Amino acid sequence: MVTETKIHPLVEKYFRLDRMPHLACPGCGIGMVMKDTLTVIDELGIDPAKFTWVTGVGCSSRLPYATWMGDCIDATHGRALAMATGLKLARPDLTVVVYTGDGDCLSIGGNHFIHACRRNLPVTVVMFNNMIYGLTGGQVAPTTPLGAETQTTPYGNIEEPFDGCKLAAAAGAVYVCRWTAFQPKRIIASLKKGIGKNGLAYIEVFTPCPTQFGRYILKIGDPVKLAVWTRQNTVDSKKAETMTKEQLKDKIVVGEFVDIEKPSLVARYAELFEKVKRSQ
Amino acid sequence: MISDVVKEGMYFVQGDMACAMGAIAAGCRFCSYYPITPASEIAEAVAEMLPKLGGIAIQMEDEIGSMHAANGASIAGLKSMTATSGPGCSVHEDGYGWAIKNEIPVVIVDVQRAGPCNGVATLVGQGDFYQARYGTHGGNYEIIALSPSTIQEAFDLVIEAFNLAEIYRSPVIFLMDEVIAHTREKLIIPPWKEIEPRIVDRIRRPDVAPKDYASFGHIATPEAISVPFPAAGDGYGLCLSPYTHDQKGYPSSTFRDQDRMARRLIQKIRANIDKLVKFESAYLDDAQSAIVSYGCSARSALTAVKRLREEGVKIGFFRLITIWPFLDKQIYELAEAVDTIYVVECNLDGQLAHEVQRAALGKAEVIHIGKAGVEMHTPDEVMDVIKKHTAVSSRR
Amino acid sequence: MAKIYINEDYCKGCNLCIHFCARNVLETSTRLSKPGYPMPAVAHIENCNACGLCELFCPDFAIVVEKEEVAKK
Repeated sequence: MVTETKIHPLVEKYFRLDRMPHLACPGCGIGMVMKDTLTVIDELGIDPAKFTWVTGVGCSSRLPYATWMGDCIDATHGRALAMATGLKLARPDLTVVVYTGDGDCLSIGGNHFIHACRRNLPVTVVMFNNMIYGLTGGQVAPTTPLGAETQTTPYGNIEEPFDGCKLAAAAGAVYVCRWTAFQPKRIIASLKKGIGKNGLAYIEVFTPCPTQFGRYILKIGDPVKLAVWTRQNTVDSKKAETMTKEQLKDKIVVGEFVDIEKPSLVARYAELFEKVKRSQ
Repeated sequence: MISDVVKEGMYFVQGDMACAMGAIAAGCRFCSYYPITPASEIAEAVAEMLPKLGGIAIQMEDEIGSMHAANGASIAGLKSMTATSGPGCSVHEDGYGWAIKNEIPVVIVDVQRAGPCNGVATLVGQGDFYQARYGTHGGNYEIIALSPSTIQEAFDLVIEAFNLAEIYRSPVIFLMDEVIAHTREKLIIPPWKEIEPRIVDRIRRPDVAPKDYASFGHIATPEAISVPFPAAGDGYGLCLSPYTHDQKGYPSSTFRDQDRMARRLIQKIRANIDKLVKFESAYLDDAQSAIVSYGCSARSALTAVKRLREEGVKIGFFRLITIWPFLDKQIYELAEAVDTIYVVECNLDGQLAHEVQRAALGKAEVIHIGKAGVEMHTPDEVMDVIKKHTAVSSRR
Repeated sequence: MAKIYINEDYCKGCNLCIHFCARNVLETSTRLSKPGYPMPAVAHIENCNACGLCELFCPDFAIVVEKEEVAKK
């Protein structure tokens, strides 16, 4: 039975049609989150001209770049948050969303990430954690599990991974959460919350990578089987509190970890200008 | 009010302060930096002055962050700058290359110090001459660099640097050195109504409607200058990335796009070199030899020329103000006019000398008068080399 | 009642739509999409309640679900 074709309304409204289909591998979670992001833009009624999509280097960054109809600012590897700092301070009225990956954000971009959180820069960071360097062909990442045999750890990874959410929380982000790409309603809710926050919102999304992490590390290359694996290994943070370290090994703990209020960097600059004005 | 912050008057200040004041006069409203001697004073000055005008001064976590933040602010419509020294520039190159490729107007102040590597933080060097031009990888570009030789010039010339950044949509390196940065000298700031007409504003509105705008539509005319640069949030759908791109800014891997992109980055400066040339010369009419120099070294060089002239030596003086693009034509003409060119610079590997040698095309003998740094040349040191060389040459 | 559109220009045959459908509306087929992957086909539209999960989970924006209003008697 031949099915009729229709271009997805969000694509028609918000994407450059000459850039579709986008670059993702079959079953990649990044595309799902892009859809969630467009849903949020649509539901919140954000003017596309005032929504700046900032990216770094990696699959998560290549996908929205020049696909989104508005301003697409693609920095060098790891520097998206540094660029977003200048951009947001110069134009505080813009909604800035940063798409980054586990390598881009936590490895080469680590320093900028820590300080963007510390400064409470009012941008929303979506960190796609696929536990691997996908775009460059499957090298180890700061979030790759111990023992994993990647392209650059052929005998098994001898370094412990670390937790981006804990880092963001310790560094001062006002909203920190983690979901998997298969939790679109949660992601949509978190994106809305993050965009509305006065400060740095960090949304980590475990993204199945069928081509690299799935195929070579988990030995699961099929997107559907990877979806099943992901959902089987996802643990809600409340449940995780009752589990042992062994039980939590290699599990993806999801939930909202931080949701606080404090002045954003933009607010502090505004305060500073007032202070200086009064002292003149 | 700008005139309350950059007040008309006579000052006795360091070059760093003059540079900061000139940048603000030029319209800079964003400065990102990381503390580094001998440029920290620029950061400290802007941190105090910019908030009075609602401008952003931000100390970033490192120089890479500083460079990228300055890029981000420029994309958002502000005239922006960053200030550092050699080690900071080494670390900048990532963001510097991004700015070159995406044609971002931004000023980078490099206050050179003794090197290589950390060298001596508080003392002079002039070893970043080539780094300014070639520091970022990949080739396929030209850049603009200017260098002041006095504190007054540090003020006036940085305004020119900001102007060139706008006209050429390019990063401009303001190549200072520790001597100019830390020396105190007279600075005269004229009334604001005399400064204002000198400033070139950003052209933010392209000629086409937002829906027809292509981020790099202008690369079809490689020599075009004063190309509009709409800001993020203006509704033009900017596509700026580190990749080779087509006219829309979409990533491309075709030879055609690579070639076209490279030609644009090179030609916009090379084709307009005559507009960019700035130099100072003296005593050249009957000169049989000449000194070529820039920055702090040119001060000793000029004194040496004056003293040698008093002793009857027919020597001339040529100071580069535009460092890059290199003044090939002017150096060649000088080489045709004289027998010997002495190049005075504060590095021992001979960077400016190398360029002068290249541009002279064998028309004159080129002698490098170098010094490793920490100290700049004294006029006597310059004169000694010239006299010895003249004595040797005349015995041949 | 619902209508399901599958975009042959975008589909990459990941089959997540088939997996997430709770009502066996979709199944695999041998028809290839333009990118070269076997596409899903709408096999049992009568089962569809327009929950939209297939559209929600599609990474490639390749499925559109439209709820059709049933005329009231």
